[in-house]
Amino acid sequence: MIILGIETATNQVGCALGGYEGVLASFHASRGRRHAETLAPAIEFVCKHARIEMKEISAVAVDIGPGLFTGMRVGVATAKAMAQALRVPMIGLSSLDLLAFPVRHSDRLIAPVIDARKGEVFTALYRQVPGGVQRLTQYRICTPRELASELIARDEDCLVVGDGGLRYRDVLANAGGVEVGEVGFAYPSASALVELAHPRAIREEFVQPWELELLYLRKSDAEINWDRQESV
Amino acid sequence: MAAEVPSPFRILALETSCDETAAAVVADGHDVLSSVVSSQVDLHARFGGVVPELASRAHVDLLTPVIAQALVEAGLDGYGIHAVAATIGPGLIGSLLVGVSAAKALSLVWGVPFIGVNHLEGHLYASFIEEPDLEPPLVVLLVSGAHTMLIAMEGPGQYRLLGSTIDDAAGEAYDKVARFLGLGYPGGPVIDRLAMDGDPHAIAFPRAMKDEGYDFSFSGVKTSVITYVRKQPDVSIADVAASFQEAVVDVLVTKTRRAATEIGANGICLGGGVAANSSLRERLLDACIADGLRGFLPSRAMCTDNAAMIGAAAWWRYQSDGPTPLDVGADPGLHLPLVG
Repeated sequence: MIILGIETATNQVGCALGGYEGVLASFHASRGRRHAETLAPAIEFVCKHARIEMKEISAVAVDIGPGLFTGMRVGVATAKAMAQALRVPMIGLSSLDLLAFPVRHSDRLIAPVIDARKGEVFTALYRQVPGGVQRLTQYRICTPRELASELIARDEDCLVVGDGGLRYRDVLANAGGVEVGEVGFAYPSASALVELAHPRAIREEFVQPWELELLYLRKSDAEINWDRQESV
Repeated sequence: MAAEVPSPFRILALETSCDETAAAVVADGHDVLSSVVSSQVDLHARFGGVVPELASRAHVDLLTPVIAQALVEAGLDGYGIHAVAATIGPGLIGSLLVGVSAAKALSLVWGVPFIGVNHLEGHLYASFIEEPDLEPPLVVLLVSGAHTMLIAMEGPGQYRLLGSTIDDAAGEAYDKVARFLGLGYPGGPVIDRLAMDGDPHAIAFPRAMKDEGYDFSFSGVKTSVITYVRKQPDVSIADVAASFQEAVVDVLVTKTRRAATEIGANGICLGGGVAANSSLRERLLDACIADGLRGFLPSRAMCTDNAAMIGAAAWWRYQSDGPTPLDVGADPGLHLPLVG
């Protein structure tokens, strides 16, 4: 079984191929051209160099967010169309799960934090379990200060990863026992996506391309303003 | 790089530049095997205009079923498609990227070329779908909520811009007047409908720059409608709608007609959402008859945003330029490629 993973929820764009043997090929770029310009040639590239033909792909996994809206949609629109054309099912995974997974060998509380701009972050809390991580809280959007106060209240050692962690290092490190992971853990990776998608594919936890939904966690500005006016 | 094109050459085209999610299969640039348009008008109506973020979200949700329906109606699965096209601009960046990303993905899987299409060029070819024997030179009046352009089309890919709006697009003026009158969004259809019961000569609204050059200005007429109604709150709204429409259409038709005479055009084509306006269609046809010109008015479905016109333009573009590289992005401010 070959899974194609597509990841565009943050400033990084990535894709990877993998299956039983783990990750067979991957591509990541966190600066340079825009996601929409890079992604399709990158998919072509990893397929070519892993010597995998498109028709061998049996599932398409994609990061459904939360993250940068326009970037997320480039990946999801690409992934949906590929799955539709290949007639294969999809697996949608959250960017926060993808950030937590590579640091699963830490026994501390794990807090992936993605920069949501406008002074807010996307986050959730995780803990190590055999073979991976388990999410303890809802996916949510909040200010870095709100997150810091929650971490203080929990009074546990915590590992923060993600570009939001780096940006708001000063605020978050105020909470005692918090370490902010280095830049190597700052972006969700397509490799982690393929690794996490594989057991789901074995369990046939699929969605169809027309069913896959994005995880925005924030309404559009127009709706926020509308709600505000309605409540006044 | 010109490309050899076999016949039939079936293009699956996607259009997501604004608030319509559309897919179509078009053979040889004019034979429309299917054309599916899913409008988001209801989604944006309460905001009085298109909300870019909402439009982008809707495109991601709607595109998969719209593509599926276009293929089914054309009686094809993906392997009967020879190329995949998408609008790459101008338009809303977030919306454009959804269609461009999907089109590239389909072209990768099917192993067929990707063709990036200029949305404005799509409107220019809408007339060719229903009249494949059109003979340039033609004058094309492109009028929508975002554009008002008068273009001399000297051949496929040979465009000269004669004039464009210096402020509001014609459709934008309709929307703003409708909003002021409390008629809702979009403004074009509702003003058109109201105008049928009004007297177009009841109020003499200004016709900016009617007899000079080919540029347009619709900001003044919009303002004078607002000023007039404020001063005369008891005026018949139908008369206001009819007189406003008369002022806009008068300028559009007068300039288009003058342009056709000046460049020695064989005919006049219409494109863009405002081209669905009944008064504009009627007046332009009258002018063509009076001047001995052919008037090509695409059906209303072809005037408003659709993917069939993108498929038609893609066929012409592919023959002259070949496939578009997969590393192209979307360009929200893309200009029509002009000669000279």
